[in-house]
Amino acid sequence: MTADARPAPATTPSAVRTDDVAKVYGRVTAVDGISFAVESGETVGLFGPNGAGKSTLLRMLAGLSRPTSGTITLGGAKLVPGDHAVHRTVGVVTHESMLYDDLSARENLRFHADLHGVADPAARCEAVLDAVNLSGRASQYPGAFSHGLRKRLSLARALLHRPDVLLLDEPYAGLDQRSVADLAAILDGFDDRTVLLTTHDLDRGVGRCDRALVVDRGRLRADIDLDETSPAAFEATYRRTIGVDDGSNGGHGQ
Amino acid sequence: MTSFFATVSRIVRKDLRIESRSRRVTTTMAMFALLIVLAFAFSFVKTFRNPAVLGRGALWIAFVFGGTLGVTKTATVEDDDAALDGILLAPVDRSAIYLGKVTSTSLFVFAVNVLTLGATAVLLGYAPTLRTALALLGVLAVAAVGFAAVGVVVATLTFRAGLDELALPLLLVPLVVPVLLAGVELTAALTTGAPTGSWLRLLVIYTAVLLLAGVATFDFVVEE
Repeated sequence: MTADARPAPATTPSAVRTDDVAKVYGRVTAVDGISFAVESGETVGLFGPNGAGKSTLLRMLAGLSRPTSGTITLGGAKLVPGDHAVHRTVGVVTHESMLYDDLSARENLRFHADLHGVADPAARCEAVLDAVNLSGRASQYPGAFSHGLRKRLSLARALLHRPDVLLLDEPYAGLDQRSVADLAAILDGFDDRTVLLTTHDLDRGVGRCDRALVVDRGRLRADIDLDETSPAAFEATYRRTIGVDDGSNGGHGQ
Repeated sequence: MTSFFATVSRIVRKDLRIESRSRRVTTTMAMFALLIVLAFAFSFVKTFRNPAVLGRGALWIAFVFGGTLGVTKTATVEDDDAALDGILLAPVDRSAIYLGKVTSTSLFVFAVNVLTLGATAVLLGYAPTLRTALALLGVLAVAAVGFAAVGVVVATLTFRAGLDELALPLLLVPLVVPVLLAGVELTAALTTGAPTGSWLRLLVIYTAVLLLAGVATFDFVVEE
């Protein structure tokens, strides 16, 4: 358990690696020199209160936001502005579905499959629809979907091009218990993949992740091996780290 | 290069499919353009005796303000549920994304301008010859590309930066003034038979400059 999570030099490239990554918006430092590495096949949770910098960090890893300083490498390839080939290695699910309401579920996926240059796109679209249990709704429009169904379709979009790394930003946010259970069951089928997810839902996050990175006020505060830490001990450490002791919510930034 | 144009084509086909179902962009633009022509008809047609002057005034005012609404609507389609982020996550050249959006927006703007031209003929008595009308359609096509070239960048910038809706016309209209000016003068020259060379050169060169500037800046506009 350590707050200094600077990755050691590795012989095989990490699936995700950040070195002193920072993001500054005007006078606001959203991410302040974060370094960590996620090895292939690991499921790592970025835990922290609202406004901690988790989503900003994830957007930088996805190539949607340019770091002010520092470097990001995905599968050993440095993320360089203007080089979008690295996007082949990541699949991203955020709060927003990134789907068009006026295209059917199948048409949305086909559009993204074509953009990613997926081989045999029609078959692949059917396969991912099946993987997220939406085959029966392939002809329906996402505008008519519940939040849970949209999230599943968004996951299907992220899986289309068989990414090495899945980036999930608050995957359970806004979902009812049944939708959370459905999504968790689907994600269980991708345990062999490298997953980096953000959450302030401690119970769900601890249950899914091998490691926890605690982020607060833009800085990495702790790197915790969840296989060696009980959920209760992690929760206590987490609350102490972010300065919340009453146990009533996920952090000061609520 | 095949992949580049394939991406442009995919963006255009996606936009056309969405528009064919929602008619969100063209309906809004067309209604606004027709209201402008109608306002001209009610305000001036009894007192203003030169339909050619009236017609070109209505046509180009409808072009600018209807077009502004149009680019706002096309940007809204990409802003809803962060759809543009989904495209940006694909391993494709962002210039291709930009040119795809410019192409589809140009088609919407041009289609509504053809309708507006028809409305000026019916409601304002503007009756160019067939040859003039065809030449005018060419001018409108180039102007639509110029308008869309800057409109896509400004609208995307406005939405991604979370600026107020008022910012879009404030930023866009000054940038399309040369397009508007060349369009009005070319319409007048085509109607009266005056030389069109210098205004046509201005329109084409300015449109090319706007396109190149858009290609150069779009990546910076979409990336935070």
